[in-house]
Amino acid sequence: MRPRHRIRHQPPSRPNNNTVRCRVAPAAKRAPRLSSVVARRVLPLALLLALFPWAAGATERSDPSYADELIAQAGSAKLFEEREWHLLLHYKPMLFGGFTSEQDDPGFFLSSAGKTDPRAELEATLRQFFSAEAVGRSKQPAQCAFIARYRWLKEKLAFNAARLPPETCARFDEWLAELNSQSITLIFASAFVNNPASSFGHTFLRVDQKGQTDQTRILAYTINYAAEVPRDAGWMYPIKGLFGGFKGYYMTPPYYLKVREYRDIENRDIWEYRLNFSERQVTRLLEHAWEMGNAYFDYFFLKENCSYQLLWLLEYADPSLHLTDSFYLWTVPADTVRLIAADPGRVANVTYRPSRSNVVRRKRESLPPDQRALAQRVASDPSAMTDAAFARLSTAQQAFLLDLASDYLRYRMDTTDKALPELKDRNQEILAARSRLRIPSPDFPVTPFATQPELGHKTSRASVGGGWRNNDTFEELSVRAGYHDLLDPEPGYTPDAQIELASVTARYYNRAEQARIERVTLANIVSLSPIDSVFHSPSWKFDLGMNTIKYNGCQLCSNGVLGGGIGGALESKWLRREVFFAFAEVEANYSAAYDDRYRAGGGGTAGLLADLTDRWKIMASGSYFKFPLGDKSDDVRWFVGQRVTLSQNVALRLEYRHRDYDNDVVLSVQGFF
Amino acid sequence: MYQKVWVTLIAFFVTAGLPELVNTAQAKGISDLGPGCGLGKDLWRDSPNTDKWGVQILISTTNNTIVPFQAFGITSQTMGCKNSGKFWAEHKANMFASLNFDNLSQEMAQGGGEHLASMATLMGVSEDKQPEFFSMTQERYLSFVNAGEASPVAMVKALNEAAASYPPSTTVASK
Repeated sequence: MRPRHRIRHQPPSRPNNNTVRCRVAPAAKRAPRLSSVVARRVLPLALLLALFPWAAGATERSDPSYADELIAQAGSAKLFEEREWHLLLHYKPMLFGGFTSEQDDPGFFLSSAGKTDPRAELEATLRQFFSAEAVGRSKQPAQCAFIARYRWLKEKLAFNAARLPPETCARFDEWLAELNSQSITLIFASAFVNNPASSFGHTFLRVDQKGQTDQTRILAYTINYAAEVPRDAGWMYPIKGLFGGFKGYYMTPPYYLKVREYRDIENRDIWEYRLNFSERQVTRLLEHAWEMGNAYFDYFFLKENCSYQLLWLLEYADPSLHLTDSFYLWTVPADTVRLIAADPGRVANVTYRPSRSNVVRRKRESLPPDQRALAQRVASDPSAMTDAAFARLSTAQQAFLLDLASDYLRYRMDTTDKALPELKDRNQEILAARSRLRIPSPDFPVTPFATQPELGHKTSRASVGGGWRNNDTFEELSVRAGYHDLLDPEPGYTPDAQIELASVTARYYNRAEQARIERVTLANIVSLSPIDSVFHSPSWKFDLGMNTIKYNGCQLCSNGVLGGGIGGALESKWLRREVFFAFAEVEANYSAAYDDRYRAGGGGTAGLLADLTDRWKIMASGSYFKFPLGDKSDDVRWFVGQRVTLSQNVALRLEYRHRDYDNDVVLSVQGFF
Repeated sequence: MYQKVWVTLIAFFVTAGLPELVNTAQAKGISDLGPGCGLGKDLWRDSPNTDKWGVQILISTTNNTIVPFQAFGITSQTMGCKNSGKFWAEHKANMFASLNFDNLSQEMAQGGGEHLASMATLMGVSEDKQPEFFSMTQERYLSFVNAGEASPVAMVKALNEAAASYPPSTTVASK
C-alpha cells in the first residue's frame, strides 16, 4: 500500500474566477500561500491531529488476512467487472479493449493503476478499508471518503464486522442529515443566447427535503457540477474550456442561490423535473455525490460538462438507467433532459418557474391597455399612484399594478451592472404603498413562451433534398451538429434565437456533373429580441462559414464569409405571432472569384418571421450590401423559407435564395437525431 | 445590481454582522477546527485576511456572481454544525435573509411568497401560523425593511421579536 501522509490542511489553491453558467461556476479566491498560514492555521491543527494518531498516519487494523480473503472472494465473484463498480469509478470501455476512468484526480484512486485497472483499484480499495488513514481530497478514512464503494462492497461481500470494524463517518452522517433528502429533482435552466457560455442551458439536481412544500423548496440544497475558471482566464478561456483546461467540481449550493442567479439575474426560465427514485436510490445517489466531492474532473465544455457529470449520479442511483452511453462527442443539457424524461415513469411531475422578465410580460398581457400604461407610469414615477385613474381601481387591481411595477423595476435593477439608486427608491416607494393595501397577492400562473425542453426536437439534424439552381438541378445532403435555427420547430427552444454550429451541406449538380461541398457553417447565431415599451434589448447576429456563389463568370465558386450585425426586432399578433427585424451589418468575403480575392463592406437586412399555424412557419428577408474594399461590388439578396413540422423530429422545408445572378430553390426533409 | 448585493453583503458581514457574529460564535464555543461546521468555521474566523468565506462571497459577488465556489464544495463542510444545531439554524436564517433581501422585502410588502414562507420556516414559524406571520410582515413592512437596510441580521432579529409577540409562533431563539 502506498503511504498517504500528505495531509493538506488548506484546500488546493483556487484562483479568483469568473462565473460561467454551464461550463463554469464561481470560485472562491485563492487560498493564501501555505507559508503564510502555516504558523496560524496548520500548526495548531497539526498539533490537534497529532493527538489522534489515526488521522495522521496509517494504522493497520488487526486481521490483515481478512483483506486477502475478501480480495480472493471479490476476484472469484468478478466484482471488478460489474456495472456498479464501473459506475462508481466512472470507467468507460476503451476502443481497443480495457477501461479507463473519466476521473482525473489521482486522489480519487486508491491504486496507482486505478485509472485504467478496475481490478487493481478494487483490491486497493478493499485493503484501504482496513486502514483509518485519511485519504482523498476530503481527508477521511477510506470507508468514509469512499462511502458508496464501501457500502456496495460490504453488501456484495457481506463484510464481517468483527474482522473489518466499520468506521463511524460523522461528517458524512451530518451532511446527510443536513440534506434531509426525500427525493431528487432535475433542474433545467433554459438557454440564454446572449451569453455564449449559457447558450445551451444548464442542468443540476436538487435534493428535495422531507417536509418541504412548494413554498419552501428554495431551501433545498442542489448538486451542481461546474468548472472553476480563473478570473484572468481571458482569451484562453474558450480554448481551455474546449480542451479540458479547467477543473470541474461537484458543489451543493442551496437552491435559492440558483434561483436568484438564473431567474432573477439572467432571466432564464427554469424547469423542475421531480424524479421517481426509491429512498435507497436517493441515498445511493448522495453517497456517490459525497465520493465525488473527493475529486475533480477535467472539464470539457462540449461533452464532459455540467450535464454529463450529473448522469453518473443518476446511473449509480439506479444502475438500470443507461445515460452516459448516449453521448459521444457532446452533451447538450436539453438532450439529457429529453433522455431522462423518455425513461417511462421516471418523471413524477414537471414544474415551471418563469424568469422575471417573462412574469412581467405575461402580467402585462393580462391587462387592458390603459392599466398596462398606468403600471408603466407608476414604475417611472410613483407619484402616479395618486392619479384618479389609479384611485378608481379596486384594491386587488391596485395591488396587481403595484406588483407589476415592482417586478419591472427589479428586472431593471437585476439586469443592469450599474447601480441605479433612483430605481431602488422608486421600488421602495411602490412597495411601501403596496404594504398598505392589506391583501396578499394571489398566485399568478405564467404560461411559458417556450415549452418544456423534452418536447423539442433533438439536437443534431440531417436533411435530404433536391432543387434547382440557375439552369441546373441538384440533390443535396446536409448534416448539422447543432442546435436550432429560426425556422426549426419551436417547441422546447428559446423563441427567436438561432444557434447553428458545425453544419455541412454537399450537393451533386446534375448538368454540371459536379459534386461539391455547397455550404459549411462553423457558427451562425441570431438573437432576435422584440422591443416593446418595457424591454429594449438589441438583436444581433454572427456568421462564420463558407458558401457557393456565382460571380464574375465563375458558376460554382467557394466563398468564405465572416459577418455580423446589430439591430432591433418588433413583435405583432396579427395572424398568430410575427416578428419583424432589421439589422445593420458588416461582412467580409474571401473567394477566388473576386478581384483581389476578397471584398469587404456593409449593408442591411430587414425581414419577417411568422407563425402561420402551429406547424407552419415562414421567414422572408431582403438584404443589400455594398463592398467598397477589395472587389468593389454590391449584392442584393432575397430569402423566403418555410417549414412544416411533420412530427417532433421531422420537418419539411422549402427555401428560395436569391443573390444578384444566382437563384436557388431547395425542398428538403429534415430529421433530428 | 451586483453593487447592491455587494452593499448588502458588506452590511451583513462587515459593518454589522461579522463582529457581532464572531462574538456569538466565540460565545457559543465554535472553535472547532475539525469537520462538521465548516461554513460557520470559515465565516466566523476572526482573521482580517481575505480568506474568510464572507469575504469570498463579497469577492465573487463583485465579480458577476453571488455563489461562492468553495463554500459549497461537497466535502468542504458547508453544511451542518456538530457543535450547536441552534447556532447553525440561526446562521442559516441570517444567510438566507442577507442573500435574499430584495425578494424578502418585496414579498413582505405583498403579504406572502416563497421567500417569505422559507424565511418563516427557517425561523421556526409553523405552517399554520404563516398566514398570520405574512400579514404581520406586511403591516410592519417599513420597520423591517428599515432594519434590513442597516443589516439583514437586524431584520431577522426584528422578525424574530415580532413573531414572538404573535403567540404561539416559535422562533429560533426559543428552539
